[in-house]
Amino acid sequence: MLLTNAVLRFLSPKAVVRAHCDLPCGVYDPEQARIEAESCYKIVEKYAANEDTAYRTRAIHIKEERADLVKHHLDVLWHDYFKPEHLEKVPNLHDLFWQANKQVSKVKASTDLADAKRLLELIDEVDAAWKVTGGAEKTRVAGRPG
Amino acid sequence: MGRSLRDRLGGPWRVAVTEGSMVPAILPGDWLVMSPLATRWPRRGAVVVFREPLAGSLAIKRVAARGGDRVPYAGGFLVLDTEEAWLLSDADEKASASVGSGPPVDSQRYGPVEADALVGHVLFRYWPPSRMGRIPPGPHHEGLPA
Repeated sequence: MLLTNAVLRFLSPKAVVRAHCDLPCGVYDPEQARIEAESCYKIVEKYAANEDTAYRTRAIHIKEERADLVKHHLDVLWHDYFKPEHLEKVPNLHDLFWQANKQVSKVKASTDLADAKRLLELIDEVDAAWKVTGGAEKTRVAGRPG
Repeated sequence: MGRSLRDRLGGPWRVAVTEGSMVPAILPGDWLVMSPLATRWPRRGAVVVFREPLAGSLAIKRVAARGGDRVPYAGGFLVLDTEEAWLLSDADEKASASVGSGPPVDSQRYGPVEADALVGHVLFRYWPPSRMGRIPPGPHHEGLPA
């Protein structure tokens, strides 16, 4: 049956359902979460050093944004990189991510450098879990400067 | 905040699917007729189009559980609120990869979805002509995956 372009255009829907992510590219690295968490740490430092209200308002706003990115990167690692078999090597995996996510929320609300430091420590633990499960070899493109 | 009846009458009444989270019941390229008049989650097994939490993009999944139902999750369970639904993909990671889509993202990732995110209740497929008709039932009608 030959359909003209006009008929097909009439038949085709306006609304389109797309996937959240069309391709699993398979690249995972806790470094993304780490960088955003380091940003939060530095923001807390700079917040303490500068009493200007406009600066502080901007600092809080930007910390919220970077902290949300930490949560996103942690989320992607938890859901897409880590598999059930990894629990053998990292039995506290789910608890670790739970703690890390809660710590991000704390960092959002806090101007205490200790909270930001604790988040970096938890991400280091995530990094260790990623490494011990072969993340570095399996999920990064070879030849990257080490 | 739901849309008014007048808004909903405006559609969309048809939707094109470009991802593979509902394979094999729905394939990328399928065009579906749906009713945008529903304001509550349809019964279990129904295919629905909705706005994904966080991302806000149009998504398509099956209703696996509704308000009052217990959903097994991460070794325990949660009880859905009256307006909430648990929405699941038909496809697993392997099935969706076979049509070029990433791992399906559903309630197991973003949790229960509120009824104000509901856009439409899918009624049938109208394109391609060879597969015109009702959407077959999914894999979860016997019970939810733990």
